[in-house]
Amino acid sequence: MGIASVSGLRFSYGDIVALDGIDLEIPSGPVGLVGANGAGKTTFLRLLLGILSPGTGTIEVLGAPVPGGILTVRDRVGYMPEGACLPGDQTAADFVGYAAELAGLPVRAARQRASDVLTLVGLHEERFRPIAGFSTGMLQRAKLAQAIVHDPELVLLDEPTAGLDPEGREEMLELITRLHGFGINALVSSHVLIDIEQTCEWVVMLDGGRVLRSGPLTDLSVAEEASVQVLGDTADFVDGLQRAGGVVSADGDALRVVMEGGDPFDLVRDVAAATGTAIRRLGQRRITLEDVFLEGDDA
Amino acid sequence: MPEGAVFDLGYRPHDGPRLGRRGALAALFRDGLRRVLGLRRRARSKVLPWALLGIALLPALFFTAFGVVLGDLDVSNTIFGHADYFDLTGTVSLIFVALAGSELTVPDRASGTMAIYASRPLTIGDYLAVRAASLGAVVFGFLYLPHVVLHLGRAWTSSRGFGSYVVDEVTVLWETAAASMVFIVAYAPIVFLVGTFSKRTSVAAAAGFGSIVFVSGGAAALVEEGGLDVAGLLAVQFHPGYVKDWIMSADTQHWVPESAGFQPWVSLVVIGVVALLALGAVRARYRNVQ
Repeated sequence: MGIASVSGLRFSYGDIVALDGIDLEIPSGPVGLVGANGAGKTTFLRLLLGILSPGTGTIEVLGAPVPGGILTVRDRVGYMPEGACLPGDQTAADFVGYAAELAGLPVRAARQRASDVLTLVGLHEERFRPIAGFSTGMLQRAKLAQAIVHDPELVLLDEPTAGLDPEGREEMLELITRLHGFGINALVSSHVLIDIEQTCEWVVMLDGGRVLRSGPLTDLSVAEEASVQVLGDTADFVDGLQRAGGVVSADGDALRVVMEGGDPFDLVRDVAAATGTAIRRLGQRRITLEDVFLEGDDA
Repeated sequence: MPEGAVFDLGYRPHDGPRLGRRGALAALFRDGLRRVLGLRRRARSKVLPWALLGIALLPALFFTAFGVVLGDLDVSNTIFGHADYFDLTGTVSLIFVALAGSELTVPDRASGTMAIYASRPLTIGDYLAVRAASLGAVVFGFLYLPHVVLHLGRAWTSSRGFGSYVVDEVTVLWETAAASMVFIVAYAPIVFLVGTFSKRTSVAAAAGFGSIVFVSGGAAALVEEGGLDVAGLLAVQFHPGYVKDWIMSADTQHWVPESAGFQPWVSLVVIGVVALLALGAVRARYRNVQ
């Protein structure tokens, strides 16, 4: 069973269509939900949680219908909202414990889980401090803690690295990466594509309320293309590649070489030998989510 | 030589019981009580509610101490009876209700915590009902506890003996409980509604208190100075006192609705209608939250 199944989903805020004709099967595991600001990511998460009701279409989360079986769904999920959601006048231990009780854990178990999970996210020392004094990084960790304190089957993370400095971002991404090992599926919403590349195995790309692409990241990560950087003038080298049937395009400082029906690496080797070109770097070109996203936009 | 080992327990799944919606409702109710009383919060959050509770209890404790000194504090020679006690602590009670109502409505919205409730096995109807139940429970305790103290104090100092007094005068416990409920139904829904319009607890409390006092004051002026009797229906501050006197067969003062010529049951109906309208408006305020 996957995380969610969505069919013919359409939702609008008045006249503004936020999601239009979404059909998706989201598998288990760490899944990324990417798109520009306003692409419909948060709306999609709120629909999965039953906070919003779909205009048309059907939604199933963990096999239960939404909104019909919403209490069953909410029993099994956690949610880390993008915005502020923590009361400043409580300590992290009290609030995360309360969040566990709200998910149905008995009081004693909730207190114990809160302590364990706050340690896991790196807030053990700060757990008895009022949340009002927390830094942005600590707030994000506390938000993650409340989302997983009740050991959910699925956690929905909305822009989990928002506002974090580079070090805090890396730590948050590491925590998210570890969730799969805990048996927790994660649906990570982000407009930072590299975050998704780093943490997820499957990606759903939204653009303008529509699904641009949904598939495993492994399909994206490599391509039958060579990326080559050479020393000196490239004119003879490029000319040689093109005469031998290669398709060459500039890719920043590098050249991107594709050969229909042949091996682009052999072609680069042969042309470099023939033209006496010195190669500085040669490797398989990696397609990033950004490439796919931009190609989708162009289309 | 003994050897030690360090185990990294890492993440441990929860294999214990899950209480589901029932557990969530109970947790929300407990949180409501703690929030109003400032428990598990900073010291300054505790000051006002506990000070008000102390003020409300003070007369009961004073009368009890008075009886201990005199040797008898029977119903006949007590300066204030149970019916008068509601009037004595009326303003304090209203302040407490306004504070409690704002504490239960404002912080969850202001701090964005509603998003977390939306990921727990609760509906918005559950949330509002349990918050209202917390408010009712804590206000009932605030209103009723002094009467229990006064009753037991009187029993303790009574010449009839503790047991005999408690049994003979047990009806006052039911009457004061019913009167307390009337005060809750009259005030709590209004402050609950006012609280849904504010993002600051103090502003909501002041607005809740002020709206009841000023509307009622205006209504009293229209009735007594302008002769506009129908305005007596708007004297929301005074309806519960009038009904309380009716329940307790007392006549502690001349209430505004009484001056306007209304019977106590009319006040009771007004209290019920205003409560339903206020709670309906609260539900409408949260209509966008499932």
